[in-house]
Amino acid sequence: MADALLDIQGLSLRYATANGSVTALDDVSLAIPRGGAMGLVGESGSGKSSMLLAMLGLLGKGAAVTADAARFDGQDLLKVAASLRGRRIGTVFQDPSAALNPALTIGVQVAEPLTLHRGMNWREAMERAEGLLAETGIHDPAAVLKAYPHQLSGGMKQRAVIAQALGCEPDLLLLDEPTTALDVTVEAQILDLLDALRARRGISLLLVSHNLGIVDRICDDLTVLYAGRVVEQGPCARVLAGPRHPYARGLMAAMPVISHAKQRLTSIEGNLPDLTVVDPGCNFAPRCPFAVPSCAEPQALAGEGDHRVRCHRAAQTATLPWPEQKNEAPASTEATPERRPLLEARGMSRRFAGHGGLWRSLDWRGGWPKLAPRKSVVAVDDVTIEVRSGEVLGLVGESGSGKSTLGRLLLRLVPADAGQLEFGGTEVPLRPSSAFCQQAQIIFQNPDSALNPHHTVQEVLKRPLELFGIAKGAAVGAEIDRLLDLVRLPRSYRTRYPHQMSGGEKQRIGIARALAGRPRFVVCDEAVSALDVSVQAAVLNLLSDLRAQFGLSYLFISHDIGVIAHISDRIAVMYRGAIVQQGEAAQVLRGPHHPYTASLLSAVPVVGSARSQADNRIRLAENPMAAPGEKGCSFASRCPQQLGNLCRTQVPAQRRLSNGVMMACHLPDAQLETVALGLS
Amino acid sequence: MTAVAQKRRRRHVPLILVAGAAIVVVMVLLGLIGPWIAPYDPTMFAVRSRMQPPSGLHWFGTDEFGRDVLSRILAGGYYSLAMGFGATAISLVIGVPLGLIAAFYRGWVDDVIMRIIDLMISLPPILVGLLILAVTSPGLGKTIVAVGLVYVPIMTRLTRSVALSVLAQDFIEAAAARREKTVYILWREVLPNVWPTIIVEASLRITFAILLGSALSFLGLGPQPPASEWGLMIAESRPFLDRAPWIGLAPGLCLCVLLVAVNFVGEGLRDLLDPRMQGRGHG
Repeated sequence: MADALLDIQGLSLRYATANGSVTALDDVSLAIPRGGAMGLVGESGSGKSSMLLAMLGLLGKGAAVTADAARFDGQDLLKVAASLRGRRIGTVFQDPSAALNPALTIGVQVAEPLTLHRGMNWREAMERAEGLLAETGIHDPAAVLKAYPHQLSGGMKQRAVIAQALGCEPDLLLLDEPTTALDVTVEAQILDLLDALRARRGISLLLVSHNLGIVDRICDDLTVLYAGRVVEQGPCARVLAGPRHPYARGLMAAMPVISHAKQRLTSIEGNLPDLTVVDPGCNFAPRCPFAVPSCAEPQALAGEGDHRVRCHRAAQTATLPWPEQKNEAPASTEATPERRPLLEARGMSRRFAGHGGLWRSLDWRGGWPKLAPRKSVVAVDDVTIEVRSGEVLGLVGESGSGKSTLGRLLLRLVPADAGQLEFGGTEVPLRPSSAFCQQAQIIFQNPDSALNPHHTVQEVLKRPLELFGIAKGAAVGAEIDRLLDLVRLPRSYRTRYPHQMSGGEKQRIGIARALAGRPRFVVCDEAVSALDVSVQAAVLNLLSDLRAQFGLSYLFISHDIGVIAHISDRIAVMYRGAIVQQGEAAQVLRGPHHPYTASLLSAVPVVGSARSQADNRIRLAENPMAAPGEKGCSFASRCPQQLGNLCRTQVPAQRRLSNGVMMACHLPDAQLETVALGLS
Repeated sequence: MTAVAQKRRRRHVPLILVAGAAIVVVMVLLGLIGPWIAPYDPTMFAVRSRMQPPSGLHWFGTDEFGRDVLSRILAGGYYSLAMGFGATAISLVIGVPLGLIAAFYRGWVDDVIMRIIDLMISLPPILVGLLILAVTSPGLGKTIVAVGLVYVPIMTRLTRSVALSVLAQDFIEAAAARREKTVYILWREVLPNVWPTIIVEASLRITFAILLGSALSFLGLGPQPPASEWGLMIAESRPFLDRAPWIGLAPGLCLCVLLVAVNFVGEGLRDLLDPRMQGRGHG
């Protein structure tokens, strides 16, 4: 591309490590025209972030970057990267909380690069900062200027980070998973903002993401990286409509999509190759279902026009269906006609006290200091919920909505302030028996934190077996083998420590531990959220199989409504501690929707429907803190359909709609029907 | 590839652990049998051979009373080693459980424990030692206890802060979901993750304890002259530092070797106990 702003040809990156030289990037080429947007996708470890760091010249010692050509606006990028970054190349990283210094005001942080790079004095810089914050859609920039990061919501923080990056009017913005740490409704707003910035400023974007929906929404072109190599590259719409490389196809098929709920997901077996060994042939071949011996030959990125694929069999395999994976347990639970409630919770509530301990805080605002009453936060507010036997109840909501607390309340891991809990028809006391704990278990989000780094797999699995009296002595070994078989890990893994396993493998051990006591009910707390798409698909499939095999019930907690739609029989939508809607999955997804459910559904970026969807999106006001003493509907302050006084002052009661869905909303039935349409 | 992985997965003992442990063992043995292998009587005055530099007769020279420095080091090693290891052991035995309990229960238990600890920290260590020893008669055992108590707050705070971050992890909640007993959670789930940090700290404490112990001795509250405790020897050598530096240097060197060796053991143990340091296994 002649007039490309950024043109990188044949970039390679090697790290020297104790185990030898690691080839993190191998002959990567990409070009972004002025005003263009390129998406960079691939699983973790594929080299996405290394690519950004190489472009910024931020790689440490021991990293060797070579390139046939790396030009940014005619200059040699590898030589001048240090002088370009912050000036002509802006960067936005994943976690805005980590990107902002908690001890400085937003104003100082946005203004600082202006004083450094543009020679402004602080007064000018602050004025400019205010303008920048306004440009990123912050309503009260003057107030935000003086705020500290902890006073802002995640979305506001990310806007401030974007304002910071925009300060020096960069030509190119590098975005490293800019919305991954945000809620889906906030993510939608940030994506809107990026779109607007591109249109208004003609800025170019390089977006690194694992979420193909986001890439489709923002980008013109797409580059798929696998283990440091570009495997497919081309215009976004064409690549996503018809991915040709088996890896790209696998990635697409592994995503749970709301409109195809309940279908079995495709997972890509295996792990990334060992990057210390450069495979001259196709490095995806060991995991590829279409691999043939000739894949060991070197492959070139080839293809007609601008859609290029690094696979010599792309033309042949494109029409072949993805081979069926062995499905050890046929899902046949659909047939179960009547399901009795296994777990019933009524009026569950839980508040968390603010900071305190022995000492209460002194409050000297207004006159004499006085002992302030401890502030408490309502995490779960009068929730009534039931999980039937053999059923998956999906619990969806944004972060901070109390999903995880509710899950722990149901296991009695967190004592409830109020409410009753029944399990299998008997009341569960606040300090439950060991028998209850055996029957009700939990799977965690973060596989690194879920396993004790000092315990081997064997020790992890042995403990619940002995504790719950499942097996003793020699029988323990056989039982551990059985558990490892169940979660499809080799039996040799019993001697491994957590650091010797990949994220997906660790998560499987977490599942095996939860299943060791042969439970009937399992809380899956964001159990797949920390995993790569392809690994997530495999774990979701595993959870479905185990449920079919043992008739398990899950409370499946997730912020990702795609995952929820995929696995759930019934769905409950939670907002600020209250269940706003619950019912059969299909009914909840089809509508009528609670206004919050509708906004959640419309905010999900979906591959293929990107452009049209953007216009129909329901835009929510940014998460304002509820005014103190407010007693009304928790969603009222953000609700586009708000009815005024009624919504603000009265908590809506749960009522049953004609399709059996429970709804907590003041809107009359007829009006609910018109609340934005979901996806069916 | 697999052969390499196999080799790496086996637990290998860090070299510094072996080296450090060897030195420590030799020093402890010498400390135990020292009085019997000393070439001279460590308390025998020899006015005519005062302050002799190191020679074939007196390897480490003689002191201001003509006593053989080597003999005094050998005879006094027992005191110093007992002080270092004993006091550290006491601070561990009291401090670590307190820290674990404070971190586990939080709330008022934490507040009470930590305020008492703050109180202990706010007093100068020598003063605390003096206080404890003032109400009793001097003696090695009591000095060890006093020094051990002085180091309890450090162990408690360190244990608590590391334990807090461990207790926030999901595997603790997994244990709670099995209704594990508190003792199990603290002993089997938390402690293995806290040990590495504590061990390194403890290995430093051993040398500090020897020095604090000798400071107390110097103040007349530990083993008394003519006992040849190392710290006491260093303290007593001060006036002669310009004329006969070997009197203080020799015990100082011993202390130094012990310090380095104990730290080697500490770091080696930390690596040995951390499964992550044992290399990654593949396939």
